[in-house]
Amino acid sequence: MTTQSSDEQHGFHRHGDNAFIAQFSESEREVLINLVEQIIELLGERTDNHVEDPLAAMVGITSHDTPPEDEVLLRLLPNAYADQVDASEFRRYTESTLRAKKYGHSMSMRITLKSAIDGIIEVDHDGANDWLGAMNDIRLALGVRLKVEQTSHEELELLAPDDPMRGVYAVYSWLGWLQESLILALMDEAI
Amino acid sequence: MVKVDESVETKIDEAIKEIFNADRPWVTIVWDDPVNLMTYVTYVLMELFGYTKEKAQELMMKVHTEGKAVVSTGSREEMEHDVARLHEFGLWATLQRGDQAL
Repeated sequence: MTTQSSDEQHGFHRHGDNAFIAQFSESEREVLINLVEQIIELLGERTDNHVEDPLAAMVGITSHDTPPEDEVLLRLLPNAYADQVDASEFRRYTESTLRAKKYGHSMSMRITLKSAIDGIIEVDHDGANDWLGAMNDIRLALGVRLKVEQTSHEELELLAPDDPMRGVYAVYSWLGWLQESLILALMDEAI
Repeated sequence: MVKVDESVETKIDEAIKEIFNADRPWVTIVWDDPVNLMTYVTYVLMELFGYTKEKAQELMMKVHTEGKAVVSTGSREEMEHDVARLHEFGLWATLQRGDQAL
């Protein structure tokens, strides 16, 4: 896990009982839309290619019983058991639901961004949870690409200016800060 | 009071424990992850399990310092539900029998 220090930037803040507001510049809004659409696309790649038993599909059973080969998808749709047989069984019955929930979070974030006027985003508690889940999925995806498992924060801070990963790390850090601002605004409410 | 032999008492204790644990032998474990924010893990535990901020923070710190923590206990079905919800919010979670070594 990691901590996120906040600075003078403006993230989400609470507005009344059940509204959370943030204002983004046009370039920030574009970055967020671009990222969330990549997650939507990635989740879409995992849909089943062949015809399924419609009854099975209706109750949420899919043909996927092996974990995704793509490293990012695997982090988004992880195994629920250490035991491979149990993990496969669980995946077959639940993966399509998990994908649908994640898709829902991302679509909700995308819609608020697309319909923002003057870059202003306003979400209620449920919308905020969608944003948190979607932002977290983006951070998990970027984290896999940045190899945060194997790399220290110090090393990431010291990436060369011409290293393409430097920009990715900047976005990853900004998203963490943005996510934290929304969590703190939500936590206010819980007290 | 009737004096009960200590070994008998222990056996009774064990039997009672078994009865109450019979349908609750599974656990949900959250594993440490370098991406998830500490505040986010705390918030998700409060939101999904209705834990107080104090309890959620305690569990989050256990995950952070020890690499993992049991966040809920119950039947296999209940733990599968908990793991699915934790996955929905991107926490790294698995379930297993409570008597299995962590």
